[in-house]
Amino acid sequence: MVKKTVLFVILVTGLFSQDAYERNCVECHKDLPTTLQQMFKEYLQMYSGEENVKAGLKHYLRYPSKSISVMSELFINSYGIKKKSTLSEQELNESINIYWDKFKVFDKLK
Amino acid sequence: MLVSKNKATNSLLKSEKKSLLRFLTLYVAMVIFMITLLSLFYYQNQEKLMLSDQRASLAKYAYIQTKRLKVLHYFFDERTTYPRDPRFRSAIYDIELMKIFSLLGDESIRFDEEIYITNKHIHFVKTLDTYYLGTKYLIIEVEDDGVWREEIWKHILVYGFIAFLLFMLFGLFLAKLFLRPMRNSIMLLDRFIKDTTHELNTPLSAILANIEMMDTDVMVEKNKKKLNRINIAAKTVSTLYKDLTYLTLEQESENEDEEIAVKSVLENRVEYFDILAKSKNITFVLSLQHATIFMDKRKFIRVIDNLISNAIKYNKRGGVIEIVLNESSLTVSDTGIGIAEDKIPFIFDRYMRFNQSEGGFGVGLSIVKKIVDEYNIQIEVESKEGKGTKMVLIW
Repeated sequence: MVKKTVLFVILVTGLFSQDAYERNCVECHKDLPTTLQQMFKEYLQMYSGEENVKAGLKHYLRYPSKSISVMSELFINSYGIKKKSTLSEQELNESINIYWDKFKVFDKLK
Repeated sequence: MLVSKNKATNSLLKSEKKSLLRFLTLYVAMVIFMITLLSLFYYQNQEKLMLSDQRASLAKYAYIQTKRLKVLHYFFDERTTYPRDPRFRSAIYDIELMKIFSLLGDESIRFDEEIYITNKHIHFVKTLDTYYLGTKYLIIEVEDDGVWREEIWKHILVYGFIAFLLFMLFGLFLAKLFLRPMRNSIMLLDRFIKDTTHELNTPLSAILANIEMMDTDVMVEKNKKKLNRINIAAKTVSTLYKDLTYLTLEQESENEDEEIAVKSVLENRVEYFDILAKSKNITFVLSLQHATIFMDKRKFIRVIDNLISNAIKYNKRGGVIEIVLNESSLTVSDTGIGIAEDKIPFIFDRYMRFNQSEGGFGVGLSIVKKIVDEYNIQIEVESKEGKGTKMVLIW
């Protein structure tokens, strides 16, 4: 009984120690051949600024479609498009914000 | 109409000078404005020309830098070194005008212009279609050596100055053209007066001589009064005649300067005008000290006659004329109609008459001014409308 309780606590703590991005994005994308960084660059190349990138990303996650995907046709034909996100507004915004902060180009060039 | 030129009309009248000055001021202001405007257009044109020369090389730099950004985009973030080039500096901005990275010397960027000059730099703004690293705007910067600007300024100063001189010459020609009708009418009037004065001489001399010769003792009182009136009228015409003769003939003759006892001349002229003054019940108040002046007596008498006759002519009935003579000054003041303050500067202009009710040609004070200027005598005028006028000669 004690062992089960400890295992449960460890699992719960582990789950909540992850941030929204890790919980909602990394889990699924780790199986894809393209990194999240690479995908970020695709978004950046398509949308340029922070507001634009975030809005484009959010729209795609809510309404995924082949026609608005930033990925190549080859990639989509191989892996298809993702399912519509069911995350709450807050959770989705948080994930996108963390994603932007993690891979943004600002202050990284020298 | 062609009118022969009289020496007296060569100098500009004050009113002419004022008109000329106004015209020239307006003209100069207009010319300066026009040259400034032309210079501005020229400057802007030359600047555009210089920028279009620069545009080709800057566009080439932008193309090179875009290719480098493309490479950096694909290798980011293993490579994070922004591409540099010794020929130019550059910066990248995203679609929201946020700076991604910059090496610019001058960060004041105008995103809505393709090429422009900013504080000692030339900026070329290229808008990318593919946003490598999020770059929407690529700014290429090169130093502006300013040589072209010095050249333009040199051209503006040299050509501007030449244009200004040409415009001024043209302006003088215009001013002459503008004054010609006024001048012609003055010369015509001079000519007319010159011709008519000749015809006045003989009858006037005859009248004056005969009045002098008449024996008033044997006359009845009624006739004496009539003769008196004839005398006054003849003296008035005589004064006018002398002024006109002076104006048209005598002023060109040689001066016969001599030491004049001013007091006795004054007494003599007051006596001469006494009959005129009495006709308006005007009283002379004299305060005369001994004084001398070295000048042509005829000219001095013209000055005195004009001052006294004006004081009588413009005085009120029953008024007073005060003549004060000091060692080197003479004051003639009346209790007449006076002159408006704004008209005082023009009283010495020829044919200038402020009161149309009195006769005359308006030449008296212009003669006075000519003579006093010739002898460096200072003349001061103090006048109050309705109170009187005071003329002061200082030598």
